[in-house]
Amino acid sequence: MLGSSRIWKRRLPGAAAVFTAAVLALAGCAGGATTETTDKGSADSGTITWWGWTPDAAPAEAYIKAFNKAYPNIKVTYKKLTIDGYDAAIRPALASSVGPDVFDVAPGAANGSVDIYGVNAIDLTPAVEKSLGADWKSKLAPIGVSSLTKDGKLAALSVGSNYAGSVWVNQDLFDKYGLKPPATYDEWKSVCAAFKTHGVKCFVQGAAQTAFNEDTLQAISNNIEPGVWARALDKKVPWTDPTIVQALTIWKKLFDDKIMQDGALGVQQYPDANNDFMSGKAAMVMMGTWYMQYSTVEGSTAAISGAGVANPKPFTQLPIAFPDVAGTGNVGSLYGDADFGLAVNKKSKSIAAATTFATWLGTSQAGQQAVGDILNDIPALTSVQPDWTSIKLVNPTAQQPALEKLISDAGKSAEPRLATVSADLQTAIGVASTTVAAGQATPEQAAATLQSAAEKLK
Amino acid sequence: MTSTTSPKIEARRPSPAPVPGNPRNRGGRPSGLPWILPAFVFVVGLIYYCIVETGYLSTLDWDGTSPTPTSVGAANYTAIIQDPIFWRAIWHTVVFFIVTFTVQTAIGFVFAALLHSKVRLGAVYKVLVFTPVVLAPATMAPVFRQMFAADGQLNWALDHIGLGFLSQPWLAQSATAMPVVMFITVWQFTGLTFVLYYAAMGQIDPETLEAARTDGASNLRVLMNIVWPGVRGTTVALAMLGVIGALKTFDVPYLVTIGGPNYSTEFLGTYIYRISIPSAHVGYGAALSILLLILALLGAITVAARANRKDGESSV
Repeated sequence: MLGSSRIWKRRLPGAAAVFTAAVLALAGCAGGATTETTDKGSADSGTITWWGWTPDAAPAEAYIKAFNKAYPNIKVTYKKLTIDGYDAAIRPALASSVGPDVFDVAPGAANGSVDIYGVNAIDLTPAVEKSLGADWKSKLAPIGVSSLTKDGKLAALSVGSNYAGSVWVNQDLFDKYGLKPPATYDEWKSVCAAFKTHGVKCFVQGAAQTAFNEDTLQAISNNIEPGVWARALDKKVPWTDPTIVQALTIWKKLFDDKIMQDGALGVQQYPDANNDFMSGKAAMVMMGTWYMQYSTVEGSTAAISGAGVANPKPFTQLPIAFPDVAGTGNVGSLYGDADFGLAVNKKSKSIAAATTFATWLGTSQAGQQAVGDILNDIPALTSVQPDWTSIKLVNPTAQQPALEKLISDAGKSAEPRLATVSADLQTAIGVASTTVAAGQATPEQAAATLQSAAEKLK
Repeated sequence: MTSTTSPKIEARRPSPAPVPGNPRNRGGRPSGLPWILPAFVFVVGLIYYCIVETGYLSTLDWDGTSPTPTSVGAANYTAIIQDPIFWRAIWHTVVFFIVTFTVQTAIGFVFAALLHSKVRLGAVYKVLVFTPVVLAPATMAPVFRQMFAADGQLNWALDHIGLGFLSQPWLAQSATAMPVVMFITVWQFTGLTFVLYYAAMGQIDPETLEAARTDGASNLRVLMNIVWPGVRGTTVALAMLGVIGALKTFDVPYLVTIGGPNYSTEFLGTYIYRISIPSAHVGYGAALSILLLILALLGAITVAARANRKDGESSV
């Protein structure tokens, strides 16, 4: 024993040194400098990576192609991640020193929250001032600036906005069976019964992916009494407000009356509900303005193919107002936020080139025109409108007026969608929606539980 | 026993003679440090460092990226004790372990016994039983989601064999989602149980089996009184792996049901992910991870201790 303790005394410093080295090496891997890189690189050349959950690969490719017309020496590589997997991937990537140069962030607490990842981004105010001048704020959609500004820092440049509240229909299926898109609850019920006789799903909702339940609940709530849902998010009315309770009651009725597809609580909005709609198995789905991109021949073909259809044939997709389920006549409400913003990683070794790309896509006429024409987002630069002469729609006669109206209506909306929803509140709303749908709680009980959860949040 | 045998071993294996001029001979024995260094750095540096780091994170209120985490002491642990979802996850783990371990053990043991007899196409059956073990859950999850969907193949099959009244949205109901998760797990891992039992049964002395048969023991009697006790060590090892596996369950419930509906398939693994990543409560998630580690250790120790006690009783 004595001998071994002597050996230990001799060897301990060595072992400690090895341990310390290992710990430091690991700490180095896990952490790294949190300050901004000083060498910003060239603004006109280099290679940069961009990570995001949106846009899809095809629009991203189109944006990059347009960007390379102006900046041929900056190579941009886009990596698309899943909505649910984005946070898991981006958090360690940004903590390391080898993360993406440009990354998506979004307002609110959904994936890629600017509240969480804004700290990893550089302030883009000088870049946007250089691009648009001192009065840059007047040229951009206010919703994109305010919601992506964190602690006085413009953490990301909004590429465009997205609004929910609309329902998308497969017009070809409606025409095939001689049906009209529903405008009221009763019409909706009878349309769904008719589709069922033809073996077609009527309305699909991925109720297991609870973030999308919010869109439907907000639409129902706005149909009952516009603005109450937004005021509840803003803590100006309690979640036990009669409008919210009635919204949960109607939500439950959608399940009981088979307007919702069977097994909705076991289905995810992406990929399940989206795939059902794109593959023609379902006639209606609750999606927002981001679905406009599938009105084009190219966008529709890619999406149908992505849904697993072997020989994709584009069909006429149209947005309709959420049906008047409460019989109040309050229809057509839309609510939205900046869809996503491009943030520049403060640890990037190509900050200048990354800033060039983010600024070009978010503020330049050419970049924003590319965004507008892809129809994934409503452009952040207010002067830009989609160039309908260059957009190849599947059915221009039916689709162009509907899309123009949707864009126009969205521009009038000031109601937030997810920007003011924290992750914990989102979870609580999800629990309320699924427990009511499953019959495990009455609308009153679910609203009370939701209110109780909301009160506990910071 | 150990103290009396050790010196004999030492006496038979004297230290090698020192090589003149070798500086490593100063202590009389060569240093082992260079030999263990890679494993030392890996084990101490990576695994234990991560555990210690997770323990530290569990005392923070932190979103995972903010430069200013707040120290909250043991508050995360206190909150966990009062968290109903945590207790539901624990309950699910217990039920999941009991059901999957029992079913896998029964099927694996019976298959192994059957395939030890001379059955035709035995090799084909072995491959069929073991194949699910090598398939990645991520590959199989979309298949099972489709199969158990309201308009999936299971309900289609039920409708076509006159059992349409049993059709239901399996993944959309709390009462049926957990059995589906258990079914998938049993399907996936019974092959492993089978292989281990098959190997263990090969170690049983054939003379013992023959003696039993000569004494007129039936197949069932041989199976229960000779084979089953003979593979006890394998059963204990499988139980230990089962406890740890149940506590670590993540991929099947996350990929098939996302822990739902209404937390009905929530496990500690899925809850840790939900809390740490989408909800960004990294400190709370770390505290859950530390509890998961403690529970896994306790579970393994309990199973091992009970097995040792039984071994002691049977040797007396």
